[in-house]
Amino acid sequence: MQRKLLGVIDATTYHDDLEELLTHRSLAALPFAGRYRIIDFVLSNMVNSGIQSVAIFPKMMYRSLMDHLGSGKNWDLNRKRDGLFFFPTPVVDSDINKIGSFENFAANLDFFYRSSQEYSLITNCYTVFNMDFAPLLEWHMHSGCDITEIFHENGTPMKMYLVKTSLLVKLIETRNETGYTCMKDVVLDSEHFYSICRYEYSGYAEMINSIQNYFSTSLNLLNSDVWKQLFIKEHPILTKVKDEPPTRYLKGSTVQNAMIANGCLINGSVENSIISRGVKIGKGAVIKNCIIMQKCVIEDNCYLDSVILDKDVKVEAGTILTGTARDPYVVRKGTKQGALMKS
Amino acid sequence: MGKKKCVAMLLAGGKGSRLNSLTKDLAKPAVPFGGKYRIIDFPLSNCANSGIDTVGVLTQYQPLLLNSYIGIGSAWDLDRKDGGVTVLPPYAETSEVKWYTGTASAIYQNLNYLKQYQPEYVLILSGDHIYKMNYESMLEYHIEKRADVTISLIEVPWAEASRFGIMNTNEDLRITEFEEKPAEPKNNLASMGIYIFSWNILKDYLEMDARNSKSSHDFGKDIIPTLLDENKKLYAYPFKGYWKDVGTVKSLWEANMDLLNDECDLDLFDHDWRIYSVNPNQPPQYISPEAIVKESLINEGCTIEGEIDNSVLFQGVSVGKGSIIKESVIMPDAVIGENVKIEKAIVPSDAVIPDGTVIRSFDDEIILVTEEMLSGIYPAFK
Repeated sequence: MQRKLLGVIDATTYHDDLEELLTHRSLAALPFAGRYRIIDFVLSNMVNSGIQSVAIFPKMMYRSLMDHLGSGKNWDLNRKRDGLFFFPTPVVDSDINKIGSFENFAANLDFFYRSSQEYSLITNCYTVFNMDFAPLLEWHMHSGCDITEIFHENGTPMKMYLVKTSLLVKLIETRNETGYTCMKDVVLDSEHFYSICRYEYSGYAEMINSIQNYFSTSLNLLNSDVWKQLFIKEHPILTKVKDEPPTRYLKGSTVQNAMIANGCLINGSVENSIISRGVKIGKGAVIKNCIIMQKCVIEDNCYLDSVILDKDVKVEAGTILTGTARDPYVVRKGTKQGALMKS
Repeated sequence: MGKKKCVAMLLAGGKGSRLNSLTKDLAKPAVPFGGKYRIIDFPLSNCANSGIDTVGVLTQYQPLLLNSYIGIGSAWDLDRKDGGVTVLPPYAETSEVKWYTGTASAIYQNLNYLKQYQPEYVLILSGDHIYKMNYESMLEYHIEKRADVTISLIEVPWAEASRFGIMNTNEDLRITEFEEKPAEPKNNLASMGIYIFSWNILKDYLEMDARNSKSSHDFGKDIIPTLLDENKKLYAYPFKGYWKDVGTVKSLWEANMDLLNDECDLDLFDHDWRIYSVNPNQPPQYISPEAIVKESLINEGCTIEGEIDNSVLFQGVSVGKGSIIKESVIMPDAVIGENVKIEKAIVPSDAVIPDGTVIRSFDDEIILVTEEMLSGIYPAFK
């Protein structure tokens, strides 16, 4: 597998509907499930499937993504040969929602020339899933197809494509003559002689493209049928490790139906929520149906229902913040919420 | 090799026999502690936080897990081009295999490791204690006192003083007398087993001790008394803070319970002095709708469906519905079934506790759950 398949993650996507959470970061670096970034899912799947060479194409505001990925060590991708490659795109004005833009790839065509892997898997960066790509490759090799597109069982295209690296290179090189700008253009066109196949994936998968869907997908993780499909011991979702102590539950705290990362100090009450690393929750505070990101501080006697707190938010004592399941109240990164600024 | 001002030597060969089955296949420094750590994380993190980047770890008893845990030291940021962590097991010479027979002989046999760094000072540590300490401050004190040897000491309860090496000092904290485990201690200042030696003194006295066939080759019993006899400058470095020898099942349990106490000085949440460890990379802990969690310390990868009360749970532990875990320590990846009751116990790594099991002490003893116990030698527990 490691010599056969190259991983290519398109991390250039931006969704307007997620704007409030993307002012400081790219979509790929969006925190998810208490301790992960969205890109961890596809990247870990690649590594768990035996892929040893992964190219990531980010665009704009990739500081937090680079900080997160580092040398690739946490994914065992700090290799002498192959490993993790990072190609910030110099293309400024291309359509940012195209997965696998050939214009982006063209700027780093040398990388594709140099890669020895016979096949390339091109994916988006925002799908929450735990998928083994080895059976897909096996299937593709036996099918004789030129391009295989992955579909979710309900018929939704997952914006992931498997193709021979040589064909990918040809598509990039001839982009001006053919007019194909990305993989989607190729699979939707019937005028060429390439055989296009569909591979159906029946496991759990959610593509994050709006605040509402980010919120519901996150809280759905509390359903044990869902998290058991996502967090599998043999195929772990890897992420940047932090040296946080275990979470401490103090006197008077009550916690029910929650997913809680390390390094938290919990004095108050938490229900039906996702709490990220290093969060402090004060005495008498009530957190219901919330997503609380890293290092937030919620002081005593606050009441939060259906709220997303981005990283490093401080909520002052006695503050009440409420949203709804369809329209959660979002607090931007690094801000302070006072008791007098009720929503 | 570059010259190093101070090199640490960490004695990690201890068998820890009073920890019974916990150390059957495991050296004491590798015993799990505090919901995510192993004992050795404390001295290694102290080194990293004190700016000591060259650490020799001397292993002997059951080294497999310890060696693979330490690896190249990256968890403690001790994977360095120059220095870093080196695991130093006993080795064979042309005529014989030289086992480490005492703390001093272990260092003596690795003098060549030390010589390559031409250190000015050598810090001797043990891998048996839970504490946070700035070794750099101790080194500054050693230099300021122009000492030959500095020994860190801590006040212990009088009743326990005879379990320790006890030091008597003059007003300037110069050590006048050192008694290893005295029956009738003259004071309650105990050695923490942490020494800083000036290099020449260490080298000369270790070489001298190695030639002495009557010596037991131990720092406390042989080297320190000899240095005192010869009127060398030995100073005491008083340490204030949390320090605990976790050498018995009871003290290991107590030290874990200390972490649930607000009065406890050992702050694991202090970002300025982090305790590093090898991170298991598991998903966040899941607390189910039926679960109750009271005053506990719980690590990632746990799945809680029962009641957890005043307990410490390591990574990957699952607790089934209707189970109650009270005042207990549950080590990594243990699987607790449904309707289990566990009170005042230590459950070792990977243990599987069947549904309906009751583990409870009838006196105040702390129970260390063992395979024999679970396989039905004590059916009364079920």
